[in-house]
Amino acid sequence: MIKVAQVSKSYQRKLVLDHVSLEVSKGQIFGLLGPNGAGKTTLIRILNQMASPDAGSVTFDGQLLGERHLPLIGYLPEERGLYKNMAVRAHLLFLAQLRGLSKTTAAQNVDHWLAHFDIQDWQNKRIATLSKGMAQKVQFIAALVHQPQLLILDEPLSGFDPLNVELIMNEIKALKTHGTTIILSTHNMKSVDEICDHAALLHQGQILAQDTVQHLRRTHAKGRVFVRFRGHMLAFANALWTDFTLLEQKETEPGLFDCVLQIRGERSVNDLMRSLQDQVTVEHIELLLPSMQEVFVDLINQKENQDV
Amino acid sequence: MSKFLLLTQREIQERLGQKGFWYMLVLGPVVVLLLLVALLKAADQGKQELSVLIADPGQIMDHRLMAQEEKHIQYYFLDDYLELNEFERAKAYQEFDVLVELNEKVLNNKKCFVFYRDQLGLDARIQLKFQVERRLEELIAAQHSNLSEQVFRQIKQGIIFDFRDLKDPKNEAKEANAWAGFILGGFILFFVGLYGMTIFRATVREKSNRIVEVLLASVRPQQLMLSKIVGIGLVALLQLFGWVLLLALGFVLLRETIFVNILDPSHWGQGGPERLNPLSTLVFEQLNLSFLLLHFVVFFAASFLFYGALFAVLGARSGADADGQQFLLPLIFLVSFGIFAGIYAIYFPNTTLTQIFAYLPFSAPVLALITLAKGVSLALYTKILLSLLVLVASALLLLKLAGRWYKHSILKF
Repeated sequence: MIKVAQVSKSYQRKLVLDHVSLEVSKGQIFGLLGPNGAGKTTLIRILNQMASPDAGSVTFDGQLLGERHLPLIGYLPEERGLYKNMAVRAHLLFLAQLRGLSKTTAAQNVDHWLAHFDIQDWQNKRIATLSKGMAQKVQFIAALVHQPQLLILDEPLSGFDPLNVELIMNEIKALKTHGTTIILSTHNMKSVDEICDHAALLHQGQILAQDTVQHLRRTHAKGRVFVRFRGHMLAFANALWTDFTLLEQKETEPGLFDCVLQIRGERSVNDLMRSLQDQVTVEHIELLLPSMQEVFVDLINQKENQDV
Repeated sequence: MSKFLLLTQREIQERLGQKGFWYMLVLGPVVVLLLLVALLKAADQGKQELSVLIADPGQIMDHRLMAQEEKHIQYYFLDDYLELNEFERAKAYQEFDVLVELNEKVLNNKKCFVFYRDQLGLDARIQLKFQVERRLEELIAAQHSNLSEQVFRQIKQGIIFDFRDLKDPKNEAKEANAWAGFILGGFILFFVGLYGMTIFRATVREKSNRIVEVLLASVRPQQLMLSKIVGIGLVALLQLFGWVLLLALGFVLLRETIFVNILDPSHWGQGGPERLNPLSTLVFEQLNLSFLLLHFVVFFAASFLFYGALFAVLGARSGADADGQQFLLPLIFLVSFGIFAGIYAIYFPNTTLTQIFAYLPFSAPVLALITLAKGVSLALYTKILLSLLVLVASALLLLKLAGRWYKHSILKF
């Protein structure tokens, strides 16, 4: 759906994006990750046509991205604001119409979303009287009130309490099931683990890695294995020999142990299972994948070590 | 509805939705009218219901005044001299507020003393002087000639020496008219400055509360800037016309109610209405009001676009209100420059500098209205149209440049 090809952008001779290429497929939730100053906001502004690339191109459904695509894009910026003197409904109507909806359709959509979030009672309240969380819900609705095909969310969870984080996460998942493509820029790695299909890591204006979340986690797996077994701990430890290191152990009930092991050398999970076969009864065994947080830190460290 | 109209409509609704706008719409003219009333009342303080004793030992007035008498001034005649001490203290004279002393030589020495117990109001003074003077003029005319009172007044009236420029023998470039044009031009700059600040503040607010990032995902920065200028400009025009309308209504009301006598030229002394009420003559007879107002609106619109773009760019470049103040100062100087250029043009209408000022976008509206108020020939009018063209072209060019500056600045937080 969105293809960014070799996009570069400089501000005052500082290269902010350096030949960035990425592709977001229809119906995907795409995590755009990176430390502060990596160039995420610049890339998002290019997608929203607030800035134009110095080099490279962006296409939307195969067409060069242009003003005609603006009504198809929804955007929730990280730094977000609303007109404090406007009433909630009037404000949403205004923004929906700016996105190209007719007054009637805008009114229908606004009413639908107010009802969906169960906040019809707020519709005549001035924005200034809303709490921060309430205002953020209104901003979230403003981003999707025109039913965009592509929704760009920049830190959508910041400022929400845990209950509302859950609500917004579920909403994002629901949008995906309805076919909306979502680009999610966030520092909340738990949400990336939970809802993103694909992710790209941007660092100092360059893409360090991009793939499916599962593949990124697998390729950065550290050979750690979780084992749950019944038997004696001594027998288990002896079976590990020098090929596996016991990192953690916990007896959850008499004779039942949860352990974390580190595979050493060229050994595999199959080797481990063979070693344990006659020593203990294995109830559960699983290769532990790193969280996206760990993948993120790993990739950044690798890059910085290369630079040094 | 187009995005531009939507944004403009929002700007207008926001301003009209503010109580401050409506307070100012009403309070502005009310304050002006109250000041006027206060000024006139300050001059008119004192006793208004009077009992006047005219000491006329020579019986010059023959116990008569002119027919047009005011009910709240009662006149009594005494055919004798009256000592001031006696008038002040004697019980018989306590009912009189004023003593008019007409000595027998009053028709020759033209001097008449009026003694009062308490300060007299302006209105009372005007009427007392008017009525006594007219009766004396009638007597002088009858005594010394066969002239009618009207002819006598004509003779009595001083000759007006009208100094005129050799280059302008018909006195087309009337100074009073020029000042009227200057006031109109000054109004333009005043409102441009006032509402330019509103553009500045609105831009800073949109930038600081980050709504601009949401808006710019839907509209181009130039659209956003122009809609703000146009929306706020229309509100400024609305307020301006509201003020004009309310002030006009206020003046009519004052004239019909509180200042019936003071503002009525027939109560004033010699000279006829033209000399007595030059303001009304200027406004209603000398100025081509509809012609002036039409050009006022056109120049207002062009100036607002020109200055509005500058204020918007400054707002976009400012991080916060406080940062922006330093950039505002030069802009305020430019607005003030227009005022000074106008004053210069009134005193030195034919200098090269005045010709240059006429084409500078900063001063063009004031100079054009000064010239228009004085009355223009076809050649002069062509020059004004040219200055308008320069102003509009500068405004469009500046809007284009400002759009770029605005775009580059508005998203730098």
